[in-house]
Amino acid sequence: MALAFRGSAREYFRIWAVNLCLTLLTCGIFSAWAKVRKKRYFYSHVTLDGTPFQYLAQPIPILKGRIVAAVLFSVYYASGHFFTALMPYVLVAGMVLAPWVIVRSAAFNARYSAFRNMTFQFDGNYKEALKTIYWLGLIPALVVGSMFQWWGNIYAGSALFALFGFTFPWWLRRLKNFIVSRTAFGGEHGELSATGGQFFKVYFLAGLIMVVAGVIAGATGAALFASLKKSPYAFVLVSLPVYIGYVLAFAYVQAGISNLVWNRTRLGPLSFESTLRGRGLAGLYVTNALAILASVGLLTPWAVIRTLKYRADHLRVRQEGDLADFYGSETTAVRAAGAEVGEFFDMDLSL
Amino acid sequence: MNAATATLAGLYYDGRRPIGAPTTLVLAGKGAVLIGAQISQRLATVELRVSPRIGRADRFIDLPRGGQFQCADHPLLDRLPQEVRTEGVVAWLEQRVAVAIASVAVILSLLSAGYFYGLPAAANYIAMRIPIETEDAVGRRSLAWLDENKWFRPSQIAPDMQARIRQGFDELRDGLPQASRCRLEFRDSPVIGPNAFALPGGTIVITDAMVQTAESPEEVLAVLAHELGHVERRHAMRHVLQDSAAAVTAAAVTSDAASLGVAVAGLPAVLAQTKYSREFETEADDFAFQLLRRRGLSPEAFATLMERLTRKQQDAERAFAFVSSHPVTAERIRRAREAAKR
Repeated sequence: MALAFRGSAREYFRIWAVNLCLTLLTCGIFSAWAKVRKKRYFYSHVTLDGTPFQYLAQPIPILKGRIVAAVLFSVYYASGHFFTALMPYVLVAGMVLAPWVIVRSAAFNARYSAFRNMTFQFDGNYKEALKTIYWLGLIPALVVGSMFQWWGNIYAGSALFALFGFTFPWWLRRLKNFIVSRTAFGGEHGELSATGGQFFKVYFLAGLIMVVAGVIAGATGAALFASLKKSPYAFVLVSLPVYIGYVLAFAYVQAGISNLVWNRTRLGPLSFESTLRGRGLAGLYVTNALAILASVGLLTPWAVIRTLKYRADHLRVRQEGDLADFYGSETTAVRAAGAEVGEFFDMDLSL
Repeated sequence: MNAATATLAGLYYDGRRPIGAPTTLVLAGKGAVLIGAQISQRLATVELRVSPRIGRADRFIDLPRGGQFQCADHPLLDRLPQEVRTEGVVAWLEQRVAVAIASVAVILSLLSAGYFYGLPAAANYIAMRIPIETEDAVGRRSLAWLDENKWFRPSQIAPDMQARIRQGFDELRDGLPQASRCRLEFRDSPVIGPNAFALPGGTIVITDAMVQTAESPEEVLAVLAHELGHVERRHAMRHVLQDSAAAVTAAAVTSDAASLGVAVAGLPAVLAQTKYSREFETEADDFAFQLLRRRGLSPEAFATLMERLTRKQQDAERAFAFVSSHPVTAERIRRAREAAKR
């Protein structure tokens, strides 16, 4: 099945400009409407087998979600700066809330995404999310550790750092698996067969890229040691390999994890083939950044469109069975999506 | 509704299976007919709901019994009942190049007006209405933190010297609106070097190195007058207000760039913060020059001290020196001399 992105930079520029202008004129209130317009544009210009996707969310739940997020952030900010005695309670409350936020926003996005008159569904619950993100208590340990400054002790600090570094890929696999296996379309749930070791490999190679960059930077630094003190340009020359290494490693991780998750995912009769390349993505990041910088932001819509096009061009959907395996129910009807708008907790917490 | 007719070729989805059936929708006045291999349905146009226009994408028409019809955009679709009424206006605006150009003009003028005038004025207005006492806890905690984490050590300045400076400080602040909130602290800090700070709530800290660099009491007072300017003009509060407002605005404006993982998205906020802290320094300088002259002291002392600090910094290259946290030193020295001549 052919997947294509048909958005045009000119068209999206107009949408971007008009919606940003209205957002500024309304002191941000319109941003919820703007989000709907932009998402509608992206969804309806991605076509699978000729049919565009549909984004069905209404602005009011998004506005509600943004207000809630703003209040939560203000509480966090105020407790960090003015009422530090409250900070531990705020952190605990944040940890209790986080799984709920993840579940709600995943459910919101799935329910308001539709393809061929059928909506997606996300049926993960709070308890599962809690177990997934606080697996082995790693993140709580991290938060508590930073509160009591365990990092101060060099041995405890490096032991914790090593522990997190090595378990993170397995943690990420669990998180991705939670999202994929709880997402459903037409009664079929996603299945992720990627292993933690495969996630680890991606991060390990990205780490190697950083190490190589560090070694090159160190070598340049040693070679230029004499001139380093005199010229500020020598300093730029030494830090350049580190920047390049960072961008490459970042792009490599993005491409590697995307490819891994898509290629190991099955959804009913469908499988996916993602062929992103770290080098390609890195080139995209750098040229996007330069273009946005040089145009004082005016080329942002162009950068967004070409990035989406690049991503769509590197994703293929393979049909290995009958599409009739997907069978919709009352709850996946597009009409049902709108019916829940009145529900209080129906809000979009993803920003 | 008039008697316009149209025949639209498209696909029908029943909502049960993601498989499209080639179907034709014929619109004629208040009625519509859906004709296809699977379905043949007579409808009233009031029962239909059309998805909003977006770019040149296909549009969807929701049918009464849960079905959906997908077809290319057609002018007649706008005359049918819309799924979301409000989006028609935005979609109309989005289609016009002139509107987009006007939008860019409005965005640029709003942002620059806010950046140069609106935001500083609003932050000033709000800060002047929040009592400085609200900052006390923050200031006290910052000082305690700096003391505990070995940034500061007890001052080595002789007590009689401290007393002389305190006396000068008391004369300097006498009669200022926030005089009762201003407190002077001496600290030794080899790491920080010659410097002085105004902490939130009115506490002013001067380092031993700064006192030692000054060659006359007037020079110390010139620095303290500058710090008093930060307190009186409520720079701590305005800093928080302006920086957070600038960060939120920048986040809203650059959300698209940020979604691409482009690091430059953070640049506008950094630029705004740099500009505002420079403005605060200039304002504190102006305040200091006026205050010094009112007390019969010359801003010339400020200029000579700054010159000495610059020379010292070139010798020592200290990362946290007073001069590097206070940019465009040459300009400040020039302004101080100008103020001294008046």
